[in-house]
Amino acid sequence: MTSGLGAALAIAKKDIIIQLRKKFEAFSMFLFALIAVLAYSFALVSQGSIPADVGSAMLWVIIFFMGMFGFAPIFLSESETGTLRGLATAPIPAWAVYVGKVIYGFVLMGIVEVFLVPIISILFGFSFLNDIPLTVAVLVVGTLDLSAVGSMASALVMPSEAKATVFPLVYFPTATSGLILLIEITKIIVLGPGVVPIMLLFEILLAHLIAMLTLSASVFHFALSP
Amino acid sequence: MALKDISLDFSENGIQGLFGANGAGKTTLMRIISTLLRPHSGTISVMGFDPQEEPEEVKKYLGLVGDKTLLYDELSGIENLRFYSKLYGLHRDFFETQVEELSQRFAIKTWLEEPVKNLSTGLKKRLDIVRSLIHNPMLLLLDEPFSGLDKDTTEDFWDYLNEHRNTRTTIVTTHNLALGANLCDEFVTLRKGVVINQGPISQFDQTL
Repeated sequence: MTSGLGAALAIAKKDIIIQLRKKFEAFSMFLFALIAVLAYSFALVSQGSIPADVGSAMLWVIIFFMGMFGFAPIFLSESETGTLRGLATAPIPAWAVYVGKVIYGFVLMGIVEVFLVPIISILFGFSFLNDIPLTVAVLVVGTLDLSAVGSMASALVMPSEAKATVFPLVYFPTATSGLILLIEITKIIVLGPGVVPIMLLFEILLAHLIAMLTLSASVFHFALSP
Repeated sequence: MALKDISLDFSENGIQGLFGANGAGKTTLMRIISTLLRPHSGTISVMGFDPQEEPEEVKKYLGLVGDKTLLYDELSGIENLRFYSKLYGLHRDFFETQVEELSQRFAIKTWLEEPVKNLSTGLKKRLDIVRSLIHNPMLLLLDEPFSGLDKDTTEDFWDYLNEHRNTRTTIVTTHNLALGANLCDEFVTLRKGVVINQGPISQFDQTL
């Protein structure tokens, strides 16, 4: 029997390969994000930049909505094609399926963010370079957090016939607390870091991620049951 | 409730037929055995394990073929098999031996590099059968396995099941009673969730 983590990596790798072969889904996420950035920059940029607090919020709001594109179908296609039964009957712990999807969601969002963040930085006229390691850490933890919440929300709405309606209703409330923290931390980074308040907020964000991952993983077998 | 007061004991090895009309409870029973459904009451033991308490132990021994394949369209045949082999933790040498043997047996060797979405329905079915057998399961659950199968694939699969009759337990549900009667050693007939008849296939009455 394979280890849970090995199975999770196999599931993530399989999903990434499928996504890269489909191409259009990742591209549509990027296109949505780019259009949103352009629209916000037309609407809000004055004298070459937008207020840092507004810009920080916009960054994470765009990533949040982009996540709705990416996470909503994470289990949908497996459920519709029947392949979810293959995962559910494989001798792997249920949490491995969940963690695999979280890793996949993280990679998918990460690929888009690699292009998106520099574009936002240029068009919104503010810099994340005040604290590069912290910026990277916040992007990694924040994206993982959204992926953890989004993957669970996607699994929970599987039995619903109105998935498209129910998904945001589950995703939004569970992601909001992490989203607020991400906006606050990014605002401080952009304005100029004050290490103490950032670290406190970052620790709370990290705790949120760990809580979401462990809670979701521990009850995920219920989501896999028909 | 799809099943009521069921008490069944499937023999080790051999082919067991699970017959009944639509809604009789065949698929529900298969789902309970395969750990996908939890019974509201009662107990079940599969290969000596409780599917609810030790699902991973049960799943190690299970092979599943249903009316829908469990294959990913965007992946090639070999990528699908490799993915499932990782989930089952198969050793590389064992996996390659199995692929070689089964792909020849089910005549899909030349199609293994092709994306599944490009394969015909019959080839997909063959590949799905190989997928279900890749870890050499001791318990094979076949839920309407012959639906949508062409004549050649049905015969190949039939021959394979026959050859492994004494070394593997196979439970098969089918609407095709004539086919089932020829293939199975023992049978269970369900109607509206209740067992109405069971025994050696020689006692099977298709009119029930």
